[in-house]
Amino acid sequence: MALNILVVDDSSVMRAIIIKTLHLSQLPMGEVHEAANGQEALKVLDGNWIDLALVDINMPVMDGEEMINRLKQNPATSDLPIIIVSTEGSESRKEVLMQKGARFVHKPFTPETLRDAILRTLGGLDEQKAGNGTI
Amino acid sequence: MRVSAQEGDVIVTHALGSCLGVAVHDPVACVGGLLHVMLPLSTIDPAKAQANPFMFVDTGFPELLVECFETGALRQRLEVRVAGGANSWNRGEDDFFQIGKRNLVVLRKLLWKTGLLLKSYDVGGTASRTMSLEIGSGKVTIKSGGQIKNL
Repeated sequence: MALNILVVDDSSVMRAIIIKTLHLSQLPMGEVHEAANGQEALKVLDGNWIDLALVDINMPVMDGEEMINRLKQNPATSDLPIIIVSTEGSESRKEVLMQKGARFVHKPFTPETLRDAILRTLGGLDEQKAGNGTI
Repeated sequence: MRVSAQEGDVIVTHALGSCLGVAVHDPVACVGGLLHVMLPLSTIDPAKAQANPFMFVDTGFPELLVECFETGALRQRLEVRVAGGANSWNRGEDDFFQIGKRNLVVLRKLLWKTGLLLKSYDVGGTASRTMSLEIGSGKVTIKSGGQIKNL
């Protein structure tokens, strides 16, 4: 039951942090693919089976919102579970993005927050936080 | 700091204010440890850290892990829970030294470096906490403000 994961972010440092968090979350990991923008990500999705995508919003060439719109238009990818990992602060913009069926994790995040979002998206955890308090 | 592999043992630490209580437990090996640390970095007093490494997060937490591993715990199986890091002021801005927050920051850095995620946590606020770890079950209980809860 190994999971193939796609990480989309223009920052290679952020991609490395997300990938390390994936490994620390003790998920059954299959292939991990990376893309630096929406266009590269769509190319990866064309040639590979992906179980979960973690997507940044603000990226050059093609941003995360445009990428998600394209995914929804294609029946082969319209059901792909997506978690948006972004600095986006605007509540209305977040609403729009979550309407498209994506879960939202706000940057900066603790690794536990990302782990819990992934487990909830994949159906392994009920809607209760791991902890109380910040930091 | 106490580490135990005895199934009937319960380790308790009291008066966690800005201090951190860190509980680690290997459910397979049935090994657990509880650490009560006061200050973030040992660099402020290296001599004291030599004498008592468990006073500081940066020397105490690695020691806790080493002792647990020597008692038979495995890193991959370790469950880590933390409580404390409070401050005595109602407004965060009044907390000049920010000891509670800084303790947590240093612990988080060590956890990331060691490749460990927190299983659960109860941190911040203004109330003091008592934390206990049952070695047999790995259950961690927090008593605070007259209330008891499982972590």
